[in-house]
Amino acid sequence: MSPRTKRRAIWAVKWVIVALFMLWTVVPIAIVITNAFKKPLDIFTTAPRLFFQPTLLKYFVNSTIVAVVSTVFVLILATFASYALTAFGFRWANWVANAFLVGRLVPVIAMLLPLFIIFNLTGIRGTLVAPIIAHAALQLPFMVWLLIGFMRDVPKELEQAAMVDGCTKMQAFWRIILPIIAPGLAAAFILSMQYSWNELLFSLQLTSFDTYTLPVGIAGFVGAVSVNAGQSSAAATVTMVPMIVLGFFIQKYLAAGTTGGAVKG
Amino acid sequence: MTTLPLRPRPALIRRDALLGLVLVLPAALTILIVMFIPLVYAVVASLYDHPGADQAAFVFVDNYARFFQDPVAIRSLLNTALYTALNLVLCLLLGVGMAVLLASFPRRTGNVLRAIFSMPLLISPIIVGLIWRYMYDPQYGIIYWLLGLVGLDQAFGGLNASGTALISVVVADVWNVTPFILLVVSAGLTVVPDELYEAARIDGAGPFRILFRITIPLLSKVLAVVIMIRGTDAFRVFDIIYALTNGGPAYATSSLSIYAYKAAFEQGDLGYGMAVSILTLIALVILFGPLMRNSARRVDEL
Repeated sequence: MSPRTKRRAIWAVKWVIVALFMLWTVVPIAIVITNAFKKPLDIFTTAPRLFFQPTLLKYFVNSTIVAVVSTVFVLILATFASYALTAFGFRWANWVANAFLVGRLVPVIAMLLPLFIIFNLTGIRGTLVAPIIAHAALQLPFMVWLLIGFMRDVPKELEQAAMVDGCTKMQAFWRIILPIIAPGLAAAFILSMQYSWNELLFSLQLTSFDTYTLPVGIAGFVGAVSVNAGQSSAAATVTMVPMIVLGFFIQKYLAAGTTGGAVKG
Repeated sequence: MTTLPLRPRPALIRRDALLGLVLVLPAALTILIVMFIPLVYAVVASLYDHPGADQAAFVFVDNYARFFQDPVAIRSLLNTALYTALNLVLCLLLGVGMAVLLASFPRRTGNVLRAIFSMPLLISPIIVGLIWRYMYDPQYGIIYWLLGLVGLDQAFGGLNASGTALISVVVADVWNVTPFILLVVSAGLTVVPDELYEAARIDGAGPFRILFRITIPLLSKVLAVVIMIRGTDAFRVFDIIYALTNGGPAYATSSLSIYAYKAAFEQGDLGYGMAVSILTLIALVILFGPLMRNSARRVDEL
């Protein structure tokens, strides 16, 4: 084969593989979205139940509130903590930072029950406050770990220069550090939003009828004997689309977030 | 360029130290309350039968012993191990493969493709379960339609046969999660300097040789992180199994988390459920502990 033909062949093979992977990625999503718009008879359900639009809207609002508030909460806590652990030269900083990482191993069920009890006792179970706190707490270890990664990449000369010019530590934090790690914060923001928006277990156990989030609403369709594909597809689409749109807009931040220092180690 | 942390001058240490403590305290407290105290609670509760109830009986390690005598429990353990292994293998093959492939495209094209390929990652496991449940449906699912084209539709049990249920769930989970590996490895690949590839090519190395001898060794740190995160997540899998099969058929897809959840919340056997959770934790530490130590952040290193 001449080199030119070989190059063409490789190009073709690459694109075939890409096309196959594209199908693999997109077809399931397309199925759900189109199902949402099909009339029930086209799918297979027998008696189509009317899906009350207000309910879906309420779940959507709940999900949004929980996701945004828990994310803001987590980011504030995690940013302060990661700054404290990297910028002060504490000898115990290492130990604490790694302790945060171990948080991943704790079995979620072990956390679920005590939280359930605490929230019950304090009367906040069933309100939106419960999943907000739960989501924030669950994401905290990972967020701290992530932000430490970003903080470490900030050149310390910048902070030193600022302090020489008369800034206090906190001023240096607000004016120098934060703007520099802004991409990292954006990545952390997206990841936390995505986690909270899609979270099921704790939302399921800690909310009540008025405060269900979208995944909880969808879970209601799972146990049904005859899966009402049209309505569940509609709910699924409403849940999926915001995250996909968000993802598209912030694609490069998402990449920075999932690697977050893993690349540089 | 040096990075944080920096060492404060002695005169300022006490005030700065206070500030640092104040900054880290909220996060540390939250973790303490929400993670470590429940962990202690779980350990204590696992030593009792029906803890918290009036008939609470201290049974010490009976719950743990019971685990090893219950065939469903052992099945769940084996399922979880198998699930994790399959998951890791498939995710790595697809994720690393596609990452390498995309890296060979021009940057813009690669970025667009990667953005599209990232979509499944943003979808909640419960929805992934819903979608794939529909796709696996024997009458209306696209999987069976495809298999029918090659005449295999009778041979495949899908979610309803205990032989094929687990792999079916794995496939759905892999669909959901591979983009994560794709993204991380893609980012890791950008750090590899082009000169290395050039030099290898000049020396006459073919593409596979380059892949195995250069690319993968350079990715080793990234791969370690990816395996650790993906492995620990797969081992603790709950959402997607709950959405697809709820542990069935006949416990073929029961994972440790599902088993513990059912024991604790559906059968009211709280102490036993906690014991299973603790056992899961121990297994995780044994399996992934070494990897975690390697990835552990050294806060003060470059």
